Amino acid sequence: MIRRALRQGLRGILLTWLTLSTLFLATRAATDKATLIQGTLEGNARVSGLPEQLALTQQLLHRYNLDRPLFYLAWQPAAGWQWHGSHNQYHQWLLQLAQGSLGYSYQEDAPVMHLLGRALRYTLPLTLLAAGFSLLLAVHLALWVSCRPTARSLVLAVLHALQSIPLFLLAVCLLLLLANPDVVAWFPAFGLGDAETEINWLQQPGYLLYHLTLPVLSLVLVSLPALTIQLDGALQQELSQKYIVTARAKGASRSRAVRQHALRNALLPSITLLTELLPSLVAGSVVVEVLFALPGMGRLLAEAAATQDYPVLVGAAGLTALVRLLAQALADMLYQMADPRIRLSQ
Amino acid sequence: MRVAALSTQQPRHWWLAVGWLTLVCLAALLAPGASSPPDFAQLSQPPFLNARHWLGTNAQGLDVGQALLQGARTVVVVSVPATLLTFLLGAVMGSLAGFLQNTRWQASPQLLLSILLPLVSSVIIGPRWLVAQLLLLPCLAMLLWLGGRQVFRGWRGVPVPVDTLVMGMISLLDSLPLLVLVLIAAAVQRPSLSGLLLLLSLTCWTTPARLMRAATLRVKALPYAEAAEAAGLPATQIIRRHIWPNTWQVLLTRFPLTVAMLIGFETTLSFLGVGLPPEVPSWGRLLAGIRQSPTDWWLLAWPGLALLLTILSLQLLARRK
Repeated sequence: MIRRALRQGLRGILLTWLTLSTLFLATRAATDKATLIQGTLEGNARVSGLPEQLALTQQLLHRYNLDRPLFYLAWQPAAGWQWHGSHNQYHQWLLQLAQGSLGYSYQEDAPVMHLLGRALRYTLPLTLLAAGFSLLLAVHLALWVSCRPTARSLVLAVLHALQSIPLFLLAVCLLLLLANPDVVAWFPAFGLGDAETEINWLQQPGYLLYHLTLPVLSLVLVSLPALTIQLDGALQQELSQKYIVTARAKGASRSRAVRQHALRNALLPSITLLTELLPSLVAGSVVVEVLFALPGMGRLLAEAAATQDYPVLVGAAGLTALVRLLAQALADMLYQMADPRIRLSQ
Repeated sequence: MRVAALSTQQPRHWWLAVGWLTLVCLAALLAPGASSPPDFAQLSQPPFLNARHWLGTNAQGLDVGQALLQGARTVVVVSVPATLLTFLLGAVMGSLAGFLQNTRWQASPQLLLSILLPLVSSVIIGPRWLVAQLLLLPCLAMLLWLGGRQVFRGWRGVPVPVDTLVMGMISLLDSLPLLVLVLIAAAVQRPSLSGLLLLLSLTCWTTPARLMRAATLRVKALPYAEAAEAAGLPATQIIRRHIWPNTWQVLLTRFPLTVAMLIGFETTLSFLGVGLPPEVPSWGRLLAGIRQSPTDWWLLAWPGLALLLTILSLQLLARRK
């Protein structure tokens, strides 16, 4: 068990390192130093005079870790391949990463870690609430449906239809229906993060929840169908087994047979979906946060992509990969809890 | 006869789905090539009131009906070829990984040499004298291979771990959600239409590859496939003649679903403004207009309805087959 967990962890770390290294090298190779420095200098109006500008350029290049060759081996047009030893961007980046720093944002005057931390304050509640609600709702809906065969086909048809709606379309519809002064303005369309200084800490959770309702609702509505359909299929399969017949023959009601006997077995194949759920929610948060103007990680990613803020992009991608790793570990653990017969060691 | 049998077998909504998809394909064929100039006299016109723009216009004065037709072409042109490419790549990778596993393919020394030596020398030379490299290095590879056949006669081949390589690539690609991956790729290099096609097929091939690998593993263990192997047929022939005819149906049922997934994905990208270049009309971009003018309900209704019907029809097709 422990050896397996160790191997899984090592594999995950290796994969994340490979992904991040590829992303880092690709984005750094695409960075245009001259325009980047030019843009930052123009934003800074105080700079006057050539010597000062040169000094500032050097300082900026150092801050962005751009003042050295890209990799251990780098191509120079004049001299061919050159070995640079540890004096290179990649080595420096890895060292910083080991110390828990992801570099400096190109666009905003802040370290990437700081930006990510600020964004997570909104994305973490958003994704966790959405994951929790969709799991809870999926289990209850599947249980409810399996006890009522007449309603089952209708609910399944609705779920199949719901599954075909892309997230952005659903979110736009919700936004226009429930946050529109012309229809019903129950929820705010945007504006989280601006007024926070004016309210005290007691009101803050309520304020956050009020603003998160529609985003969470759209994420739940999108992830619910797949979970429910899978769980319902598994439940139907379990209900045809003989142990259910035995349970019913001993006098258990249908709902008791489903809840006490079938559910645990049916949950097993659905756990695999958990590995997909959290990363897909993170991807979904890109759409939802852009649309509802939440200052979370998804919007950070989208804005970084639009402004080519590569350190932020790589940092956010690393965080997403980490979420996936955690989801995988969680699913493994849940497998063990749901069915102690399973020994995952090979 | 068979057509008649088919028409009685399929329920009515199956025909509705097929009808709608045919309509989309027709719209893609008949859509005007160049978009007409925006009508600045009639911005944000509601539908049905205007004789010239009966589906309304958006805030820039573009006719919604025309944009819908052209968007249909983009939908067809992006999603169908991307799915085909994805399946081709996934099928080749998956069946190779499933059939060759880690030991089946023993690469001969001359083959390894004739691939590796030109590659290494090209890396050492670097990006210089490109024309000379392009001409000379393939010749070097040919020479090495032909000469090596004599020299290395009787040598054992080196097993190539195809399965491990392919599965490693799959888990590498799967470590990030598709949307995040494409966002980053689009930030580095803003894709054109063909670039987006390539990007989608290079990132989406993992699911068909997994399916094909599983199917190949199942078929490979059947007695007739073992007999073919025992008869000494070459691997490519076994895969093409004996394995593929029994595995490709796995992909057939996935086809409408993948097309639907790619349509949804492409419109999401265009909606976020990171997908296709701005001059290519797309339903997603048309829908994005609602964010600037939230009162223009027709900007949401028509493209949203078209998108929804298309994806629903494709999912229906996948379920009925």
